[in-house]
Amino acid sequence: MANQKFSDRKKEEAEIDMTPMLDVTFIMLIFFIVTASFVKESGITVERPEASTGEKQQRAAVLVAVAEDGSVHMDNQTVDIRAVRANVEKLLSENPQGTVVIQADKRAKAGDVISVMNQIKAAGAEGTAIATVEN
Amino acid sequence: MAKRIRKSADEAEIDMTPMLDVTFIMLIFFIVTASFTKESGIDLTQSNNDTPLNQQNNKNVSIVIDINGNSEVIMEGRSIDARSVQANVQRLKAENPEANVVVRAAQAAQAQVMVTVVDQARLAGVSGVIISELIER
Repeated sequence: MANQKFSDRKKEEAEIDMTPMLDVTFIMLIFFIVTASFVKESGITVERPEASTGEKQQRAAVLVAVAEDGSVHMDNQTVDIRAVRANVEKLLSENPQGTVVIQADKRAKAGDVISVMNQIKAAGAEGTAIATVEN
Repeated sequence: MAKRIRKSADEAEIDMTPMLDVTFIMLIFFIVTASFTKESGIDLTQSNNDTPLNQQNNKNVSIVIDINGNSEVIMEGRSIDARSVQANVQRLKAENPEANVVVRAAQAAQAQVMVTVVDQARLAGVSGVIISELIER
Protein backbone atom coordinates (compact mmCIF):
# COMPACT_ATOMS: atom_id res chain seq x y z
CA MET A 1 0.00 0.00 0.00
CA ALA A 2 2.73 2.34 1.01
CA ASN A 3 4.74 1.18 -1.92
CA GLN A 4 1.95 2.11 -4.26
CA LYS A 5 1.91 5.68 -2.93
CA PHE A 6 5.65 5.99 -3.17
CA SER A 7 5.81 4.93 -6.80
CA ASP A 8 2.95 7.33 -7.56
CA ARG A 9 4.98 10.17 -6.19
CA LYS A 10 8.06 9.15 -8.06
CA LYS A 11 6.18 9.32 -11.30
CA GLU A 12 5.26 12.96 -10.71
CA GLU A 13 7.86 15.68 -10.82
CA ALA A 14 9.68 15.78 -7.51
CA GLU A 15 8.78 18.96 -5.68
CA ILE A 16 9.56 20.39 -2.25
CA ASP A 17 7.16 22.76 -0.57
CA MET A 18 9.18 25.95 -0.30
CA THR A 19 6.53 28.00 1.50
CA PRO A 20 7.84 27.63 5.11
CA MET A 21 11.38 28.43 4.04
CA LEU A 22 10.11 31.47 2.14
CA ASP A 23 8.23 32.63 5.22
CA VAL A 24 11.33 32.37 7.38
CA THR A 25 13.45 34.12 4.76
CA PHE A 26 11.02 37.00 4.48
CA ILE A 27 10.81 37.44 8.23
CA MET A 28 14.63 37.51 8.44
CA LEU A 29 14.77 39.98 5.57
CA ILE A 30 12.26 42.31 7.20
CA PHE A 31 14.10 42.05 10.52
CA PHE A 32 17.43 43.00 9.00
CA ILE A 33 15.91 45.85 6.96
CA VAL A 34 14.26 47.29 10.05
CA THR A 35 17.37 47.01 12.23
CA ALA A 36 19.76 48.29 9.56
CA SER A 37 21.33 51.47 10.85
CA PHE A 38 24.37 52.18 8.65
CA VAL A 39 26.43 53.74 11.41
CA LYS A 40 29.73 55.25 10.29
CA GLU A 41 32.14 53.48 12.61
CA SER A 42 35.30 55.18 13.76
CA GLY A 43 37.46 52.15 13.14
CA ILE A 44 39.36 51.93 16.43
CA THR A 45 38.53 50.68 19.89
CA VAL A 46 39.01 53.07 22.76
CA GLU A 47 38.78 52.66 26.50
CA ARG A 48 35.66 54.65 27.25
CA PRO A 49 35.44 56.82 30.34
CA GLU A 50 33.11 55.67 33.07
CA ALA A 51 29.89 57.45 33.92
CA SER A 52 26.66 56.45 35.58
CA THR A 53 24.22 58.67 33.70
CA GLY A 54 24.92 57.40 30.19
CA GLU A 55 21.90 56.94 27.94
CA LYS A 56 21.54 54.76 24.88
CA GLN A 57 22.22 56.82 21.80
CA GLN A 58 19.45 55.72 19.48
CA ARG A 59 20.13 57.88 16.44
CA ALA A 60 23.91 57.78 16.34
CA ALA A 61 25.02 58.11 12.73
CA VAL A 62 28.68 59.06 12.95
CA LEU A 63 31.24 57.94 15.49
CA VAL A 64 34.37 60.05 16.03
CA ALA A 65 37.12 58.50 18.13
CA VAL A 66 39.79 60.46 20.00
CA ALA A 67 42.62 58.08 20.86
CA GLU A 68 44.93 58.26 23.85
CA ASP A 69 47.67 59.91 21.77
CA GLY A 70 45.27 62.59 20.53
CA SER A 71 44.77 61.19 17.03
CA VAL A 72 41.25 61.47 15.67
CA HIS A 73 39.66 58.57 13.80
CA MET A 74 36.42 58.50 11.87
CA ASP A 75 34.96 56.40 9.07
CA ASN A 76 37.88 53.94 9.40
CA GLN A 77 40.53 56.60 8.72
CA THR A 78 42.76 58.85 10.76
CA VAL A 79 41.87 62.48 10.20
CA ASP A 80 43.57 65.68 11.22
CA ILE A 81 41.95 67.26 14.27
CA ARG A 82 41.33 70.43 12.23
CA ALA A 83 39.57 68.49 9.50
CA VAL A 84 36.92 66.99 11.79
CA ARG A 85 34.32 69.59 10.86
CA ALA A 86 34.55 68.97 7.12
CA ASN A 87 34.48 65.20 7.59
CA VAL A 88 31.50 65.30 9.93
CA GLU A 89 29.64 67.53 7.47
CA LYS A 90 30.36 65.07 4.67
CA LEU A 91 29.23 62.01 6.64
CA LEU A 92 26.18 63.76 8.07
CA SER A 93 24.96 64.71 4.62
CA GLU A 94 23.99 61.06 4.16
CA ASN A 95 21.96 61.07 7.37
CA PRO A 96 21.12 64.62 8.45
CA GLN A 97 18.87 63.50 11.32
CA GLY A 98 21.61 61.46 12.97
CA THR A 99 23.64 62.45 15.97
CA VAL A 100 27.41 62.33 16.40
CA VAL A 101 29.00 60.33 19.21
CA ILE A 102 32.54 61.10 20.38
CA GLN A 103 34.42 58.03 21.54
CA ALA A 104 37.12 59.57 23.69
CA ASP A 105 39.73 57.44 25.36
CA LYS A 106 39.65 57.94 29.11
CA ARG A 107 43.30 59.05 29.04
CA ALA A 108 42.86 61.39 26.08
CA LYS A 109 43.35 65.10 26.64
CA ALA A 110 40.22 67.07 27.43
CA GLY A 111 41.41 69.85 25.12
CA ASP A 112 41.32 67.52 22.12
CA VAL A 113 37.85 66.29 23.05
CA ILE A 114 36.54 69.84 23.43
CA SER A 115 38.10 70.83 20.11
CA VAL A 116 36.40 67.89 18.38
CA MET A 117 33.14 68.71 20.16
CA ASN A 118 33.21 72.34 19.03
CA GLN A 119 33.85 71.32 15.44
CA ILE A 120 30.97 68.84 15.50
CA LYS A 121 28.69 71.60 16.76
CA ALA A 122 29.98 73.88 14.02
CA ALA A 123 29.21 71.16 11.47
CA GLY A 124 25.56 71.47 12.46
CA ALA A 125 24.97 68.06 14.04
CA GLU A 126 21.53 67.48 15.53
CA GLY A 127 23.12 66.28 18.72
CA THR A 128 26.46 65.39 20.22
CA ALA A 129 27.22 62.83 22.87
CA ILE A 130 30.31 61.39 24.48
CA ALA A 131 30.47 57.61 24.69
CA THR A 132 30.75 56.16 28.18
CA VAL A 133 30.54 52.83 29.97
CA GLU A 134 28.49 52.12 33.03
CA ASN A 135 30.62 52.08 36.16
CA MET B 1 -5.50 28.43 -28.21
CA ALA B 2 -5.42 24.83 -27.34
CA LYS B 3 -2.27 25.38 -25.39
CA ARG B 4 -3.87 28.03 -23.24
CA ILE B 5 -6.81 25.90 -22.29
CA ARG B 6 -4.53 23.07 -21.32
CA LYS B 7 -2.52 25.34 -19.10
CA SER B 8 -5.45 26.67 -17.14
CA ALA B 9 -6.67 23.19 -16.64
CA ASP B 10 -3.37 22.44 -14.90
CA GLU B 11 -2.77 23.77 -11.45
CA ALA B 12 -1.84 27.45 -11.84
CA GLU B 13 1.77 27.96 -10.80
CA ILE B 14 4.14 30.94 -10.82
CA ASP B 15 7.86 30.43 -11.06
CA MET B 16 9.14 31.82 -7.77
CA THR B 17 12.83 31.26 -8.44
CA PRO B 18 13.81 34.83 -9.58
CA MET B 19 11.99 36.39 -6.65
CA LEU B 20 13.69 33.96 -4.31
CA ASP B 21 17.08 34.88 -5.75
CA VAL B 22 16.45 38.57 -5.23
CA THR B 23 15.18 37.98 -1.71
CA PHE B 24 18.24 35.96 -0.77
CA ILE B 25 20.60 38.56 -2.14
CA MET B 26 18.81 41.28 -0.16
CA LEU B 27 18.88 39.10 2.94
CA ILE B 28 22.62 38.49 2.63
CA PHE B 29 23.26 42.21 2.01
CA PHE B 30 21.36 43.25 5.12
CA ILE B 31 22.98 40.54 7.25
CA VAL B 32 26.44 41.65 6.15
CA THR B 33 25.80 45.37 6.68
CA ALA B 34 23.98 44.91 9.98
CA SER B 35 25.81 46.56 12.85
CA PHE B 36 24.29 46.35 16.24
CA THR B 37 26.44 48.97 17.89
CA LYS B 38 24.27 50.80 20.33
CA GLU B 39 26.57 53.34 21.86
CA SER B 40 25.70 54.52 25.33
CA GLY B 41 26.80 57.99 26.25
CA ILE B 42 26.22 61.36 27.84
CA ASP B 43 24.40 63.90 25.75
CA LEU B 44 26.33 67.12 25.35
CA THR B 45 23.63 68.92 23.42
CA GLN B 46 22.15 71.87 25.18
CA SER B 47 18.40 71.77 25.39
CA ASN B 48 17.56 75.24 24.24
CA ASN B 49 13.79 75.09 24.35
CA ASP B 50 13.74 73.33 27.70
CA THR B 51 12.80 76.17 30.03
CA PRO B 52 12.61 79.36 28.00
CA LEU B 53 11.12 81.29 30.90
CA ASN B 54 13.87 80.46 33.32
CA GLN B 55 16.60 81.29 30.90
CA GLN B 56 15.69 84.94 30.99
CA ASN B 57 16.29 85.07 34.72
CA ASN B 58 19.58 83.26 34.94
CA LYS B 59 21.74 85.93 33.42
CA ASN B 60 25.32 85.73 34.64
CA VAL B 61 24.50 83.08 37.20
CA SER B 62 26.40 79.91 36.64
CA ILE B 63 28.13 77.28 38.66
CA VAL B 64 31.69 77.08 37.32
CA ILE B 65 33.72 73.92 37.73
CA ASP B 66 37.32 74.13 36.57
CA ILE B 67 39.58 71.21 35.75
CA ASN B 68 43.23 72.22 35.59
CA GLY B 69 46.08 70.66 33.65
CA ASN B 70 46.82 68.20 36.46
CA SER B 71 43.22 66.94 36.29
CA GLU B 72 42.37 68.55 39.63
CA VAL B 73 38.80 69.73 40.05
CA ILE B 74 38.48 73.27 41.34
CA MET B 75 35.20 74.69 42.53
CA GLU B 76 34.88 78.08 44.20
CA GLY B 77 38.63 78.34 44.48
CA ARG B 78 39.05 75.04 46.32
CA SER B 79 40.48 71.84 44.95
CA ILE B 80 37.91 69.12 45.49
CA ASP B 81 37.52 65.44 44.69
CA ALA B 82 35.82 64.72 41.36
CA ARG B 83 33.27 62.51 43.10
CA SER B 84 32.17 65.28 45.45
CA VAL B 85 31.07 67.49 42.58
CA GLN B 86 27.52 66.15 42.86
CA ALA B 87 27.13 67.34 46.47
CA ASN B 88 28.67 70.72 45.70
CA VAL B 89 26.49 71.28 42.64
CA GLN B 90 23.41 70.25 44.60
CA ARG B 91 24.27 72.76 47.34
CA LEU B 92 24.83 75.61 44.88
CA LYS B 93 21.74 74.60 42.96
CA ALA B 94 19.68 74.86 46.13
CA GLU B 95 20.92 78.41 46.61
CA ASN B 96 20.29 79.31 43.01
CA PRO B 97 17.91 76.92 41.25
CA GLU B 98 18.17 78.67 37.89
CA ALA B 99 21.95 78.55 37.63
CA ASN B 100 23.48 76.58 34.82
CA VAL B 101 26.64 74.56 35.13
CA VAL B 102 29.79 75.39 33.18
CA VAL B 103 32.66 72.92 33.12
CA ARG B 104 35.95 74.44 32.01
CA ALA B 105 38.61 71.87 31.27
CA ALA B 106 42.28 72.63 30.63
CA GLN B 107 43.84 71.30 27.44
CA ALA B 108 45.98 68.76 29.29
CA ALA B 109 43.26 67.46 31.63
CA GLN B 110 42.19 63.84 31.32
CA ALA B 111 38.98 63.09 29.46
CA GLN B 112 37.94 60.71 32.23
CA VAL B 113 37.96 63.53 34.80
CA MET B 114 35.92 65.75 32.51
CA VAL B 115 33.36 63.00 31.94
CA THR B 116 33.21 62.27 35.67
CA VAL B 117 32.52 65.92 36.45
CA VAL B 118 29.78 66.15 33.81
CA ASP B 119 28.35 62.87 35.08
CA GLN B 120 28.32 64.19 38.65
CA ALA B 121 26.58 67.37 37.53
CA ARG B 122 23.98 65.25 35.76
CA LEU B 123 23.52 63.19 38.92
CA ALA B 124 22.83 66.47 40.69
CA GLY B 125 20.00 67.06 38.26
CA VAL B 126 21.62 69.37 35.72
CA SER B 127 21.15 68.01 32.21
CA GLY B 128 22.49 70.77 30.00
CA VAL B 129 26.07 71.13 31.13
CA ILE B 130 28.12 73.64 29.14
CA ILE B 131 31.67 72.50 28.42
CA SER B 132 34.33 74.97 27.44
CA GLU B 133 38.08 75.15 27.41
CA LEU B 134 39.98 76.62 30.34
CA ILE B 135 42.81 78.87 29.25
CA GLU B 136 45.46 78.64 31.93
CA ARG B 137 47.83 81.48 32.61
